[in-house]
Amino acid sequence: MVIRRLGPDDVDYPAGLCDLEASPRVHLMGTTATGPGVAVVGTRRCTGYGLGLGRAFGAAIAEAGWSTISGLARGIDAAAHHGCLAAGGHAAAVLGSGVDVCYPVENRSLYDQILASGGAILSEYPPGTPPDKWRFPERNRIIAAMAAAVVVVEAAERGGALITARLAAEIGRPVFVVPGDVDRVASVGCNRLIKDGAHPVLGAEDLVSELELVIGPRRAAAPNGRHIPETGCDIETLAITWGLTLAETLVEVGRLELEGVVGRVGDMIVPR
Amino acid sequence: MYAAITSVTLVGGEARPVEVQVHVGRQQEVFRLSGLGDTAVREAKDRVRAAIASTGIQFPNRTVTVNLAPADLPKAGTDFDLPIAIGVLAASGEIPGPRPAVSVGELALDGSVRAGYSSLGAAVLSARRRIPCLVASDVAPRAAVVPGSVVYGVASLAEAVDLLRYDDRAPVRAEPPASQTTVPDLADVEGQPLARRALEVAAAGGHHLLLYGPPGGGKTMLARRLPGILPPLGDEEAVEVALIHSAAGLRRDPEPVRPFRSPHHTASRAALVGGGSGVPVPGEVSLAHRGVLFLDELAEFPRANLDSLRQPLEDGYVTVARRGSTVRFPSRFHLVAATNPCPCGYDGDHRRPCVCRPSVVARFRQRVSGPLLDRMDLVVKVGRVEKLSLGELVGESSTTVAARVMEAVRFGAESDGGRIGGEARRVLLDALDKGLVTARGAVRLAGLARTIANLARVERIGEEHLAEAMALRGVW
Repeated sequence: MVIRRLGPDDVDYPAGLCDLEASPRVHLMGTTATGPGVAVVGTRRCTGYGLGLGRAFGAAIAEAGWSTISGLARGIDAAAHHGCLAAGGHAAAVLGSGVDVCYPVENRSLYDQILASGGAILSEYPPGTPPDKWRFPERNRIIAAMAAAVVVVEAAERGGALITARLAAEIGRPVFVVPGDVDRVASVGCNRLIKDGAHPVLGAEDLVSELELVIGPRRAAAPNGRHIPETGCDIETLAITWGLTLAETLVEVGRLELEGVVGRVGDMIVPR
Repeated sequence: MYAAITSVTLVGGEARPVEVQVHVGRQQEVFRLSGLGDTAVREAKDRVRAAIASTGIQFPNRTVTVNLAPADLPKAGTDFDLPIAIGVLAASGEIPGPRPAVSVGELALDGSVRAGYSSLGAAVLSARRRIPCLVASDVAPRAAVVPGSVVYGVASLAEAVDLLRYDDRAPVRAEPPASQTTVPDLADVEGQPLARRALEVAAAGGHHLLLYGPPGGGKTMLARRLPGILPPLGDEEAVEVALIHSAAGLRRDPEPVRPFRSPHHTASRAALVGGGSGVPVPGEVSLAHRGVLFLDELAEFPRANLDSLRQPLEDGYVTVARRGSTVRFPSRFHLVAATNPCPCGYDGDHRRPCVCRPSVVARFRQRVSGPLLDRMDLVVKVGRVEKLSLGELVGESSTTVAARVMEAVRFGAESDGGRIGGEARRVLLDALDKGLVTARGAVRLAGLARTIANLARVERIGEEHLAEAMALRGVW
C-alpha cells in the first residue's frame, strides 16, 4: 500500500496539526478524513465496562458523521476503533511506530480493517520505525492536535491517556472525561481530570450533544431498529432492560443470533 | 480330600465368580496358596490359620493347597479369607457337605469377620446364581439391597460354620441405606438465573457444561448442585455404581444419589481414567459413571490428561490394560468443567481490570479449547452476583428443578424424539448458509433444542426452542 509523506501544504494534511509548533510532517497510509475528528483514548488495562463505553463512543461519533481518532493500542483504543468501524465510520489510527509496523501485533486484523474501510494510519516516524516506548508520548500530541476534542474513557493514575488530555488542553482542545468510582483503579486518572476542570461526560448520547457545541450539528441519524446497545450487553442485563423474563430474553437473543444481527464478545451480546 | 467354595472378585466393576479350591493331602504340614493373589491375598494364610485356631478347631497338620480359580485372573484384597477358611474346614471334614453359598470377608485373628470390598459383589452373585451369600454382618443389610439376593450376615467364622452346617436362620432383610450423602441445594445460590437455566437444561439432556467466570463467582457451587437435580439412580444402577467404587477400594452404598467426582488438576492420568498395578483399578471417569465428573480449573489440567478423557467420553467405557489382564470399566458421566476466563480471572469483568497480557490470555484460552471444548454443548459465564432484580428464578430449590428435569427426561423417553419443526429447520438451514453455525454446530444445536423442547414438553422442536439453544450455547 502506498505510503505518502504529508506536509502542511498538502491538501490531505490534517489541519489540526498546524496548531502544533513546527507543524510536523506525517506519513499516511489510507485516506484522511474529510470532516472533523474526535479522539477516544484510555488505558490499555481497562475493564469490560471501559471496553463497552469505548466501543459505544466510537460508534456514536461515527454515526454523528465524524472521524474517530485513536492510537491502535490494546484496550480502550482498540474498542473505539472497533466501535467506529462497526458503525461504518472513518477511523484514524496514529502510531508510535512506522505506519507499516503494526503494534501490538494482536491488533493486526483491526489495522487491516481500518485500511480496508478507507480509514487512515498515520505516523510522524519514517516507515520501518520500531515501536519504542519513548515515542508514544510524542505520538500523543499528534492525536490531540488532529482531534477537535478528546474523550478519555478510562485512565489510571498515570499513563498515555492523561498525557494526551494534558497536551490537548494546552492547545485548546476541549477534554471530555468519563467519571468513575473513586476507588476504581482504572478511573482514578479520569476523576482527577474532572477535578482539574475537564468536562464530565455521561454516556454516548451526552457526548455527542456536547460535541455538537464544539464541532457543529451531527449528521442526521440513520434509523436504527436494534434494541441492543452498541456497548454490548450480557443476557441477564438485557432481560432487565427489555423487561422480559430470562426465558423470553434467551429466545429473543437466540433469534437475533440466528439471523446474524448480533454476535458475541465473551458473554456480551453485541450488534454486528 | 477336597472342597470348592464359591467367592467373588470384581473385574471392571463387575462381579466375577471365583472358585476357592482346597485340597488337604497326607504329606507333611504345608500351607500353599496359588491363583495370582496380591500380597493381601497371600497373607490370608496367616490370618486363616490363626482364625481357625481361635475358633477352637484344630488346623489340619497336613498338606493344605489352596487355588483361586480361574488361576490366571489377578486377585486382590482380603475378602478371600473367609472362603479359604471355610474350604479348609470342609476339605478336612469339619463341615461335611457345606451348603452352596458365596462367601466373602476378611478374618481377624480372633476369628471375627470384617467387611472387605466385595460384599456387594457377593450379593450380586447370590442373586445371579440363586444361592445365598455370607458377608460380614455389619454390611449385610446394605448388601441385601441387591434385588434377588439372599444375604446372611456373619460376625465370626464360628457363625459361618454353624450356618453352613444347615443351621436354620433367616437371612437379613434389606435395609436400603439412609443416604449418607447430602447434596447441596440450589436454593443456596443467589441470582445467576442464566447459569441456573443452563444447569437445568444440562441435567435434562445430559449435556456437558462449561462454566467460566471470575474467582468466587459460584462456578463450583453450581456444579456441586447438579447431582441434586438429576433423576435418582435406579436400584440396579445404584448397585452398578457402588460396585465400581468397591473395585477402587472405596465404600459406597447402593444409594440413589448420583456420584459427584471432582479430581484435582494434579491427578495423574491413571487416577483419571484407571490404572493400578496387577489388578486394574477404575479411575475418576468410572467412579463418576452415571454421575457427574467435575473438572475445576480446567486450564490447569495437563493437555495429555484431558486428551485421555476422549475415549471414555466417546464410548462410555474405558479400557485399562495391565500386565495379566485387560479390563473395561463403564464411564458414562456428565462432564462439568469450570475455568477462569484468564489467569488473573478478570478478563471481561465489568468492574475490575484484567491484568493479564493479551498474549497470555490467548494462550490460556487456547488451553481450554480442543477436543474437550468440542463436547461442551453449553458454555455459560458465571459472573459475580450484582443483579438480584431478576426475581423470577431466584431461590428455586433443587426439588422444584429436579421435578421439571424428571418430567423432561420422562417426556423425552416416551416421545420418539428428534423431529424438528419446519420453521425451526428453515431458520437452522439459513444460519448454516450464512455461516453462523457449522454443520457440527447445527447438529449439537438441534440436540440442545430437543432438550429444551422436552423441558417444555413439546414433541416438535419449535423455532423458539432452537433460538434458546442458540443463546444458551455460548461461545468460549
